[in-house]
Amino acid sequence: MRTGGSHLSPYGGAGAGEAPGADLAALLGEVARGDRDAFEAVCHHIAAPVFGTVRSVVRDRCQSEEVAQEVLLEVWRAASRFDADRGSAMAWVMVIAHRRAVDRVRSEQKSAARELRAASHAVAYDEVAEKAEANLDHERVRRCLGSLTELQREAVTLAYYGGYTYRQVAALLGVASGTVSTRMRDGLIRLRDCLGVKR
Amino acid sequence: MRTRQPEPHTLAGAYALDALTGTDRAHFEQHLARCEQCSREISGLWEATARLAAAAAIEPPPGLTARALAAAEQTRQLSPLTRQTPARHAAMTGLAGAAGARAAVPLRRPWMPRLALAAAAACLVAAAIAGVAAHTAAHQLGEQQLRGHAIAAVLAAPDATMLTARITTGGTAAIVMSHRDRSLVFTAAGLRPLRSSQCYELWLMGPAGDKPAGMLPGPRHGMTGPVIASGLQPGDHLGLTIEPAGGSPHPTSAMIMVLAL
Repeated sequence: MRTGGSHLSPYGGAGAGEAPGADLAALLGEVARGDRDAFEAVCHHIAAPVFGTVRSVVRDRCQSEEVAQEVLLEVWRAASRFDADRGSAMAWVMVIAHRRAVDRVRSEQKSAARELRAASHAVAYDEVAEKAEANLDHERVRRCLGSLTELQREAVTLAYYGGYTYRQVAALLGVASGTVSTRMRDGLIRLRDCLGVKR
Repeated sequence: MRTRQPEPHTLAGAYALDALTGTDRAHFEQHLARCEQCSREISGLWEATARLAAAAAIEPPPGLTARALAAAEQTRQLSPLTRQTPARHAAMTGLAGAAGARAAVPLRRPWMPRLALAAAAACLVAAAIAGVAAHTAAHQLGEQQLRGHAIAAVLAAPDATMLTARITTGGTAAIVMSHRDRSLVFTAAGLRPLRSSQCYELWLMGPAGDKPAGMLPGPRHGMTGPVIASGLQPGDHLGLTIEPAGGSPHPTSAMIMVLAL
């Protein structure tokens, strides 16, 4: 399963037989042993979600490309540290990707100007969704995000797609930061349960 | 009991969303190291955020994977953590689920800026070519277009290699070279502006002596180039000097960049 054009839908469809997630974990094991073909296959699986996520946070296309490339290389470098017992391969990759994206944004953030400038919901889910390729994950996530309260949804999407800290999100939404942190947790838990994430 | 801080557990969502910074993050990670249940929770929340990522998937730029593969060729992989391995890389080994990912996200490493620069250069070179293409589309065949084709040929060459270098007077250079095509494409960012009586000049320096390899145009939006230089020989070095406007047949000042090709 090295090729399969499933990279836009890393989780595949329900009941699609062999789960692509299991493939990805197995491929990472091969990458850890220095297998370049496996790394190429991994890149095909993860490039679209990595680039999409980085782009939603970083915005600038050239910088997003840089960060996405760093992420792919980090996956190569650190593949031996992936532990399938502790979570899915895609989650492991995306934690690396999202962290790197927010690190990039925050290192460039010299002042509070950005939080104020972006006070609009410029990064709200709808905008990300507009650019996103139509895929099953997109549909499911959209449905599940719809089951969150408005505050939960805004807190989660501003943090994840916008790369804002919870204190910045609180400022954007005009809500106490303690409230925001609670809504983030409640929102993610609800999202996790709605998506039927296996743990 | 801390009363000033939020109850650590309520920050699990913010942590999973990378929405904690500084002391908030450190504080939560301290808590996490002692809380097995929190670690399990974070792992589950990360599965949810990975779905958010998947839903944001967009077609990656062409060449992204190819460049990552090329970079991987030159990048040593981390050894696996073993029971005996001190938890240096994974300072938070106690994090179930988190440990793997934490280990993979160490802080700044020296190679990162260079790699980032290379990617930036590739992106900017591509943008410059797009600019040339757009320009020539309107102006029919011309020198610009031929130059654009030559640049594109180097970038697309199967042996294309990217190098970066710091310029001692300020700025960084990125070079894509192809020994097959005996050519290289030079771009630079952040070059120190010169007086109008001066210019930057490139040199190909080999056993047979120094050959002028082209003068750099003025910067646009902080970017200089792309400039193509041909006649590359194995073992050549690329040099850069500041010369009187109009250029010199031989370097007349100290090299401000020397790069083995």
